[in-house]
Amino acid sequence: MSRYCISLFFFLLYALGSAQSEPIDLNKKDTVAYKQPYGIRVGVDLSRVLVSFLEDNYTGLEFVGDYRLTNKLYLAGELGNEKKTIGVPLGNEINNPAGDLYSFTTSGSYIKLGIDYNTYGNWYGEQNMIYVGGRYAFSTFSQTLDNYKIFNTDRYWNPDDFAVGTTQNQEFSSLNASWLEFVVGIKAEILKNLYFSASARLAFYITNKQPENNAFRNLFIPGFNKVTDGSKFGVGYNYSISYLIPLYKKSNKPKEEPVEELLEEVQPNEEFEEGF
Amino acid sequence: MNKLQFPLIILLGILSFSACEKDDICIDADTPQLIIRFYNITDTTEFKDVQNLVVRGLLPSGSKDTIANIALDSIVIPLRTDASSTSFALTRQLSITDINVDTLVISYDIKEIFESRACGYIVNYDALEATVKPDDSVWIQETRITTSLIENTASAHVKILH
Repeated sequence: MSRYCISLFFFLLYALGSAQSEPIDLNKKDTVAYKQPYGIRVGVDLSRVLVSFLEDNYTGLEFVGDYRLTNKLYLAGELGNEKKTIGVPLGNEINNPAGDLYSFTTSGSYIKLGIDYNTYGNWYGEQNMIYVGGRYAFSTFSQTLDNYKIFNTDRYWNPDDFAVGTTQNQEFSSLNASWLEFVVGIKAEILKNLYFSASARLAFYITNKQPENNAFRNLFIPGFNKVTDGSKFGVGYNYSISYLIPLYKKSNKPKEEPVEELLEEVQPNEEFEEGF
Repeated sequence: MNKLQFPLIILLGILSFSACEKDDICIDADTPQLIIRFYNITDTTEFKDVQNLVVRGLLPSGSKDTIANIALDSIVIPLRTDASSTSFALTRQLSITDINVDTLVISYDIKEIFESRACGYIVNYDALEATVKPDDSVWIQETRITTSLIENTASAHVKILH
């Protein structure tokens, strides 16, 4: 038994010696690749759902989605439908639909397609975004002029209120508009694969097909929101919740470090060793 | 943090400027009124005052209040936007007993135009026609349309010769 123990001791001593003979690599490369999820993220805009519940004159729904192309680039889009009734008050009764100078209902759908670029450098395991993006958007809609009055500063014939227009409930259909949109927003992973996102949008319309013969104007465009006189800009926002359907995982290729930087790092060490 | 600055500044920019828009106050448009000028029948280029001119609007139910006007050789009168013709009673009084009332009927097509977000709709009058209802004594001898489309109040639309 003791002989066995002694031979085992010598064997292990040899193993120890052989292990020590190899230099210890302190700058060993990390071979574990960090893989990030890639897939399709789909969701719904919560703000439009909420406003639909809270306000009588609005119903809207917007689906959002994106597909991850590269580490930072996403193909993104929105698909929505909105119906909004707007009354412009100017008459003898403010805050009453009867006092509206005119009121109209816009109803239509829109699609927005573009890209998102993530500017946020995530820590290990994070999948958050602070992004800028661009969209091309197209909307088809119809405007219904519910009721209107004729603006006239002279009150001789109608002392109490404006005269009512001749053709109420006119519908202007097959209207469309297209615009470019600039997006900034954030996306945060609140649960595994579940994202909350908020974005602000600045839109600039390229085409805007108005009702003919100055019969009416597109004062609201679904997806674009309010159209201001003499301006081509519109603003919007959304607060959405979305779910990532992971399709595959891919690691981010490490950037090749410049050679010069490496040399600079090495040189002081050599000097130190020589001095030592 | 450096990477965040750019989108954050833009986000702040959009949010702060999103509330900036034109005031919805209607100042740049109005429904125009009819301008009538009175000329001399013997010399059709010469203005001629109508003595003690009084103008009233006429409705089927009766006449309305006097339309205030200062000048005697021209009047600015509102037309009805809810009907395709408007009647006026034009009274000329030469002396206490000599009062002559003529009924002028202006007929037109109504063109409703959407002017702006703030003003909404205004009316322009097209295909203007002016006729005087015949009675025993008419002081208006002739009416001439100079502009058949009333878009503004820059110049006279109807000439009345008397």
